[in-house]
Amino acid sequence: MVGGFVSRGFRGRRRGGREGAADPDRLPPGQYAEAGFPVLTAGPTPRIEATAYRFRIEGLVRHPHQWSLDELRALPGSTFSGDIHCVTKWSKLDTSFGGVSVDTLLDQVEPLPHATHVVAFSYGGYTTNLPLDDVRGGRAWLVWEHEGAPLPPEHGGPARLLVPHLYLWKSAKWVAGLRLLDHDEPGFWETLGYHRRGDPWQEQRYWGD
Amino acid sequence: MDDRDLRLDGNAVAGLLAEVFAVEPTVSWTNCASCGASNQIGALLAYVHGMGAVLRCPGCNQALLRLGRAPGRVWLDLRGMRWLQVEVETG
Amino acid sequence: MARTALLGRLTWRLARVAAIRRETPRCTTLVLEVPGWSGHRPGQHVDVRLTAEDGYQAERSYSIASAPDGEQVELTVERIDDGEVSPYLVDELHAGDQLELRGPVGGYFVWQPDLGGPLLLVAGGSGVVPLMAMLRHRANQRGTVPTRLLYSSRTAADILYRDELQRLAAADPAVRVTHALTRAQPPGWDGYARRIDAAMLREVSWPPAERPLVYVCGPTRLVEAVATDLVELGHDPARIKTERFGPTGA
Repeated sequence: MVGGFVSRGFRGRRRGGREGAADPDRLPPGQYAEAGFPVLTAGPTPRIEATAYRFRIEGLVRHPHQWSLDELRALPGSTFSGDIHCVTKWSKLDTSFGGVSVDTLLDQVEPLPHATHVVAFSYGGYTTNLPLDDVRGGRAWLVWEHEGAPLPPEHGGPARLLVPHLYLWKSAKWVAGLRLLDHDEPGFWETLGYHRRGDPWQEQRYWGD
Repeated sequence: MDDRDLRLDGNAVAGLLAEVFAVEPTVSWTNCASCGASNQIGALLAYVHGMGAVLRCPGCNQALLRLGRAPGRVWLDLRGMRWLQVEVETG
Repeated sequence: MARTALLGRLTWRLARVAAIRRETPRCTTLVLEVPGWSGHRPGQHVDVRLTAEDGYQAERSYSIASAPDGEQVELTVERIDDGEVSPYLVDELHAGDQLELRGPVGGYFVWQPDLGGPLLLVAGGSGVVPLMAMLRHRANQRGTVPTRLLYSSRTAADILYRDELQRLAAADPAVRVTHALTRAQPPGWDGYARRIDAAMLREVSWPPAERPLVYVCGPTRLVEAVATDLVELGHDPARIKTERFGPTGA
């Protein structure tokens, strides 16, 4: 910054009054409330026909498995309602996604005892890594609906991973599957300086935080 | 709105790259490690947002340059390029 | 050959707003004085950064509208209704305020008379800004390269630099300006009354055999459609340069 220069009178779009009268305790450090749902993308939007979509879990599991969207929809459903946080500092409060809990899927494939981490991989080549514990215990979903409507392609449709207690780059769009590993394998942004875990409440944005 | 509205040219990251390189980066030539096409950085397809930027081959969409940014730091991954040609002062 | 290397790495610096000029209902020109500015090449842009009191920052790129002119730099900004930076630049800035910027950058999308021609410039909306810098520089240099501008706007009121373009074309037979209005046309309108398409490009441009240098600038979708059409008409992709502005409408 040029010696602490401040642009006179600039507040930024988010300052038109806190949308939804957000309780400041709901915002992790360094975040602001955003009413919209910004589209951030690192490449072309994959175009996947719903009927062609497949999600699989492989790696250190007893029974690797693949599901179609119909098969996923036939499983007991689960909805997330709450807040999502992007490392670029916006948080979207009181939103909802519908799909299936990752616990339901993991129960079917039976992770091996020495599995400690996952890599989520997507159509189009995106990857992100997480500790296995962060996708268990009711904290992660595979979702295909956003606020009651089918998840649009620009937000990851037909389906994306949702891990709302971590920064949103961990919620891989156009997710094609999870691979369970016994070691951590940094993904697309993690190999570029972003944090391996990404907990917004500890402001784990970058390597070294 | 999707990537077809959002994508830009490599020229759009000229300022960001100029903070890293000591030369005007957008006229530098690159060679794609995936399809072998040569393009100037300004001609690559750029996907830019707060996390960083990805410059892709206009022919095959391979990520030639991946850039992550944080306050005071920039990370660069050039694995998608076979080479990058940068002009320097002669003599 | 123009020197392309910068001396040392580029950093942010402060410019002073010398004057503000309203161009159209949506667009305003900021006339900036930039101490230490060492000039720019037509087509280049600057990155502008705004900082709030709590440290929040927002950055955007703006093409330089003016031809090189000492330490003075003009930016023409289109006000995007739900934008974050442009409403501040258009509504809030006063003469005397300071603005943080970085540049000039973008040596790829540059035209100077020594690059030759003939020169075809295709603009959608505020995409005309960097092309105007090229036209102004060409006029300052008494350039003779045959030049054609095809410029698409929503309505006549949205045409940027309309009078200046008319004067440039009237004064120089080698410059031709053609307008397309996509939403509404005034009575007696003699320009195009539709979006730019392949047929229009064929009518306006030189044949591919003339090997024009082409610069296309504006919203991403328009730029990609025009570039595709030009290649399909037989123009050499290596002689077409694009500057996509992203999703803003024209």
